[in-house]
Amino acid sequence: MVLSPPKVRLVLFLLLAVLVARAESASGPILFAAATDAELRPLIAKLDGPVTESRAAWQFWLGSIDGKKVVLIRTEGDPLNAVAATTLAIRRYHPQLVVTYGLARAHDPALLPGDVVVSEKFAAFDGMESDVIPLDGGSAPLTWSRLQHKLATAGEKETPTDFFPADAQALGRAKTITLAHGRIIAGVPGSANQVNREADRVAWIHEKWGTSCEDGESAHIAGCAQLLGVPVIGLRVIDGTESTAATVALQFLEAAK
Amino acid sequence: MTRHAYCLAVLFLLLPVLLRAAEPVEVLVQGAERLEVGEIVAALEQPQKLMIGPFSFWTGRIGGHRIAVQLTGQALLNCTTSTILGIEEFSPKLIINQGTSGAQAPYLTVHDIIIGRRALDYSGFVTPVRAAGQGSAPLSWTPVPQRLRDPATGKLVTYPDGFAGDPAALAIALRTRNSMGRVFAGVIGSANEVNLELDRVRWSHQVFGMDVEEMESGVVAVVAHAYGIRYIAFRVVSDAPYEGVQFIPQAARATGLFTVRFLENLPPL
Repeated sequence: MVLSPPKVRLVLFLLLAVLVARAESASGPILFAAATDAELRPLIAKLDGPVTESRAAWQFWLGSIDGKKVVLIRTEGDPLNAVAATTLAIRRYHPQLVVTYGLARAHDPALLPGDVVVSEKFAAFDGMESDVIPLDGGSAPLTWSRLQHKLATAGEKETPTDFFPADAQALGRAKTITLAHGRIIAGVPGSANQVNREADRVAWIHEKWGTSCEDGESAHIAGCAQLLGVPVIGLRVIDGTESTAATVALQFLEAAK
Repeated sequence: MTRHAYCLAVLFLLLPVLLRAAEPVEVLVQGAERLEVGEIVAALEQPQKLMIGPFSFWTGRIGGHRIAVQLTGQALLNCTTSTILGIEEFSPKLIINQGTSGAQAPYLTVHDIIIGRRALDYSGFVTPVRAAGQGSAPLSWTPVPQRLRDPATGKLVTYPDGFAGDPAALAIALRTRNSMGRVFAGVIGSANEVNLELDRVRWSHQVFGMDVEEMESGVVAVVAHAYGIRYIAFRVVSDAPYEGVQFIPQAARATGLFTVRFLENLPPL
């Protein structure tokens, strides 16, 4: 088929439009998601030209830090609020990268307080299925099966998924962070709306999902980002303070291009 | 380039913006799986399909209402994401979440439908401290209710009982026929869990008052409340552990047909 000159120009124009759209998404803000005001405050304090917006129960802080466009969201520390706020922020602001940062409790016995787990991948470990046990037969949680996340996929399909990927380039950048105390460890942040303090259950989760640590949101944010096609990275401080977590987030931003 | 070609190109550039402003609907009807939306999509007059991210929507009319039917995907992660997208796209006045569920009370059997007088996400908990070798005891875990920030006060509010279904929609649903079983008002609990240990099933009934368990209704209740949108859930019993009946996916047809009848009974919103 030979295209007439106007058609050639139209095709070129459409190609240009696609390239412009891609370039816009690459230059979008970096979205920082944290559970509480305590983790967000140091970043909010550094915002140039801060603007606050809200929608339903969720709030967004927009501005620049050291010339880099950022959006901050408060996840409330549970999967539902975290996914809701992340979805809204992705739809409204088209971020180039989602950063979930904050505190975590260790699942990997080799981790020490002050270590920072940077995500190689994420595990949302809330899914379980039990076997049939009759009444008065009790509960056997250490025999439960892992239930996969069936990620919605175009064409009315489901993709059973155990782990959500982290962005390799962002992981490389995260590994360059230097800490006054503690180590940077590449690992698997896990999340569920759970606080697990039974040592045997923690060991069971660690074995089933390979989790390094647990918090209330990180892997769910990563799953949401995967559903909506946005790269994601996690930075979790083991048994640390909120201000340490914020410092790590700011160090990551400094390392960003 | 011709004017026609320029118009096409401009339209292409504006397409994402235009798509974001779909015509509002009165009712957003949700199902997690294809079998759960099949009967409803089939009942749509002049159906039109659109995709937002990986999620499929079909718009059209049932009973004079403008409807969007949404395939949410299963459980909190898919369902929270897709519900937010559905609300932002279609600004519904009423949301219906419907589909299959597992009975948590012995009076229920396959094809009975529970209308959610209340729906809650019961997945949150804190365990007691137990040292290595002391095991794990789920019936001793302390539930952590869902919290939601009230934009008026800026405070986090805890909802230990979940969220009440819309009273007007509940009344209409209780007058709607289920051709395959009975209809009860009850409590619907959601978690990314399949519980077949009967002691834990009994525990969820005793602690939360749950009549059925599934993975989405309690999640959507939170989001609908956050937006101030009327909400109701319908769940057919598709598995009945007290009777030893395992998951029957085709039971989804019962809530699909029930939902279509409900929409036909529903007065203008």
